[in-house]
Amino acid sequence: MLCVVVVALPYLREPQPSSDRLEEPDAAGRRRLALAEERDRALAALKELEFDHRTGTISDDDYRELVGPLRRDAAQALKALELPPAVGDQSPTD
Amino acid sequence: MPELGRAALIVSLGLVVFALVAGAAAALTRRRRLALSARNALIASFGSTLVASAVLATALVRHDFAFEYVASHTSRALPTRYALSAFWGGQEGSLLLWLLVLTGLGGLAVWVNRKKARDLVVWVVPVIAGVATFFAFMLVVVASPFATSAPPPDGAGLNPSLQNPYMVAHPPLLYLGYVGLTIPFAFAMGALLSGRTDERWIVATRRWTLIAWTALGLGQLLGAHWAYEEVGWGGYYAWDPVENAALMPWLAATAYLHSVMIQEKRGMLKVWNVVLVSLAFCLSLYGTFLTRSGVINSIHSFAQSPLGGWFLGFIVVVTVFSVGLIFYRLPLLKARTRLESLVSREATFLYNNLLLVALCLTILWGVTWPILSEALNGEARVVGRPYYDFFLRAFGLPLLLLMGIGPLVAWRRASLRGLAKTFAWPVAASLVTGVVLIALGAGSSTPGLIAYTFSAFVLATIVLEFVRGTRARRALAGEPWPVAFSSLIGRNRRRYGGYIVHAAIVLLAIGVAGSSAYQHVNEARLKPGQTLAVGGYLLTYQALAQTKNANATEVRAVLDVRHGGTTIGTMRAGKNVYTAPAGDVSNEVGIRTNYLTGEDLFVIAEQVYGDGSVDFRVFVKPLVNLIWLAGLVFLLGSVIALWPDAREERRLALRYGEVEAGAPASS
Amino acid sequence: MARRSSPARLIIALSVAAVLAVFLLYTSIAGGGTPSLKPTQLAGHAGRVSLVGLVVGPVTGDAHGSGLHFRLRDIGSKPGSTVVPVVYTGDLSDQFKVGRHIVVDGTLRNGTFVGVPGSLLTKCPSKYTASSPTKQQ
Repeated sequence: MLCVVVVALPYLREPQPSSDRLEEPDAAGRRRLALAEERDRALAALKELEFDHRTGTISDDDYRELVGPLRRDAAQALKALELPPAVGDQSPTD
Repeated sequence: MPELGRAALIVSLGLVVFALVAGAAAALTRRRRLALSARNALIASFGSTLVASAVLATALVRHDFAFEYVASHTSRALPTRYALSAFWGGQEGSLLLWLLVLTGLGGLAVWVNRKKARDLVVWVVPVIAGVATFFAFMLVVVASPFATSAPPPDGAGLNPSLQNPYMVAHPPLLYLGYVGLTIPFAFAMGALLSGRTDERWIVATRRWTLIAWTALGLGQLLGAHWAYEEVGWGGYYAWDPVENAALMPWLAATAYLHSVMIQEKRGMLKVWNVVLVSLAFCLSLYGTFLTRSGVINSIHSFAQSPLGGWFLGFIVVVTVFSVGLIFYRLPLLKARTRLESLVSREATFLYNNLLLVALCLTILWGVTWPILSEALNGEARVVGRPYYDFFLRAFGLPLLLLMGIGPLVAWRRASLRGLAKTFAWPVAASLVTGVVLIALGAGSSTPGLIAYTFSAFVLATIVLEFVRGTRARRALAGEPWPVAFSSLIGRNRRRYGGYIVHAAIVLLAIGVAGSSAYQHVNEARLKPGQTLAVGGYLLTYQALAQTKNANATEVRAVLDVRHGGTTIGTMRAGKNVYTAPAGDVSNEVGIRTNYLTGEDLFVIAEQVYGDGSVDFRVFVKPLVNLIWLAGLVFLLGSVIALWPDAREERRLALRYGEVEAGAPASS
Repeated sequence: MARRSSPARLIIALSVAAVLAVFLLYTSIAGGGTPSLKPTQLAGHAGRVSLVGLVVGPVTGDAHGSGLHFRLRDIGSKPGSTVVPVVYTGDLSDQFKVGRHIVVDGTLRNGTFVGVPGSLLTKCPSKYTASSPTKQQ
């Protein structure tokens, strides 16, 4: 019964690996992650605004007012990231 | 056999302690293999706990009365499914269930996330292991389910009112909820511990939280339904501390589900969210503590037990830990954006959160007041039903209204002009409903009328959303109506699943309002042939019928029911007198449901006299069945919101993959 | 770009104040609840209280008639310790029995505790069980 103990733990007492360090994003990586999230957030907000506009929840006037700042945010985020957005996968928000 | 159980639990304890210590060490010193080892230990602890559970389950099914636990909770005559449900019927067994679900869910959560966000998971493991250590410790040292003694000839049996399918499902669902809340808590703490500022932990736990929250909600509804049918006092919720123990974490989790959406979309309320998730988790621990310690007078509570002190200590530790950690990481949790307008969806969510938390805290206060007042004045004071009813209305009615307003307000900033246009139809619909209802006599109860009008408003907004969405989809893709409708939902699962859940809550509100504010009650002592009138029904007591079976003697009063001049049927209500546990009497109420109107005719035979006369109490409860229907709709909405979305998964994988793509590929 | 301080904090502070105000108002009007007492604590208490205790026989009378008479002692106390005589009319749970724990609201009058009709709840001891409260709904 107690051999269960033996099985579990030494699972990873495997051959010496090249590195035992835990990978984690460094400072640059974290910044990129934050920027990626911001970019996604801005794009999602735009998508949602368009959806709300199409369904008529948001009036034309409101749409015109709100879309400008959102587009600016998205452009900024994209530029900061300097990477193309997730290609084609304009998945629905929410 | 009991030795196997005990040994398995000791193994579990050892494994989770290791996972805790090694996991923490690995996270601090950044050692990959140690972290993996800790993770495996956590997963393995599920295995050993499963063995222990299997031992208990087998003992229960085999009626092995050498186990004290089996002897005190089952009897030979007990059917197998109820013998099994006795697993969680007592203190020790329910602790074992906690541990089983915790190690199972925890192990699954870390396994599923093993390749994603490793630096996050490395901290999650010790947190989960820490919680598991407490429960394992309790099971091994304080309250073991494997205590043995000389077997009595037959067991004490299970209370007959618990021998009911609802009672088989109710505790496991609740536990899934309580324990399930540990996962988002662990991930939140893990995020704080690892110093990550991104939303990875929210993304990882969204579905877990939804599942736990749904289970908790459904578990409570099942409990209410059981109370309604089995306990039979004419109600479904008594604001009993043990009932509240499940409601409080559910309210906190509801608030959390909403505010987490704000963090996802706008990067705000980070501190609020970690506070909420910690609150939800602490409340679920507190709820468990309340139920088990006997500290509070409740009709459900266990006897005074030593468990109480341990639980309280653990809750204090968890609270101090989470508060301390939040303070320590406060600089990391600064919001990147601000609330721009008091009229925006963020603001509406914030109001909703405040109301939910306020309700949650008032219930907490009501539950804890007896303990506090005893400590302060030497005299325990108990708050009554009016307290809870008042605050339920004060906070619940505005919440109901907000449910309709929130989804239609724009993010960031909404113009009042735009709002006026959007809400024109729903407001009109609710006003019309209000007028019609007053004409129908609903003005007798102001809170009831308000509840109905608000419900009409919310339902109108939901229907409108579906209609508008389907129409837009048709315009876009030219699909026929039914296809447009389903593809609309399919492409926006979270949104429309959420709307369906809101609809369920509205149904619940209508059901609760109808059955409490507009119910009719009448009571009388009837001799055979006499009649009782209540709420449009006429009941005539005919005779007393008695049947004997192996389990019990069933005594039933038979009544004829007339409504609006025509006889609509017969009802029976009475008591069962059981053979084991000897002499126990249960109340068997008669319920007649009108499926068209959702109305229930509820008959209680309070007292049967020697001369054949019976004390009856009869309720007419309008719309009460909407409450149970709401449960089904709730489940449907949740499932839709939970349903995996391949496109979303890909997008998330790309988002996180593209940053971690640089890291060396490893196991 | 001018940085406006977030109204969020203001909202939260105002709401907390509002909730506290409502709360204090309610408790000052409705009172801080009913005292929940054990039989040994009952002596000298005037007014309505909630009595918690263990049912001691003999049980005589009729709850639906002239009144059910029984006695209560502290839960966890030894047999023979102080008991309080109780008289109760009203709905009675089927779980009511000598040896069970009950809660009943009422007032102490001339040494006898007079129970409020419908307020008697019976607990099932020790196990995870529920009794049938016959409360007003």
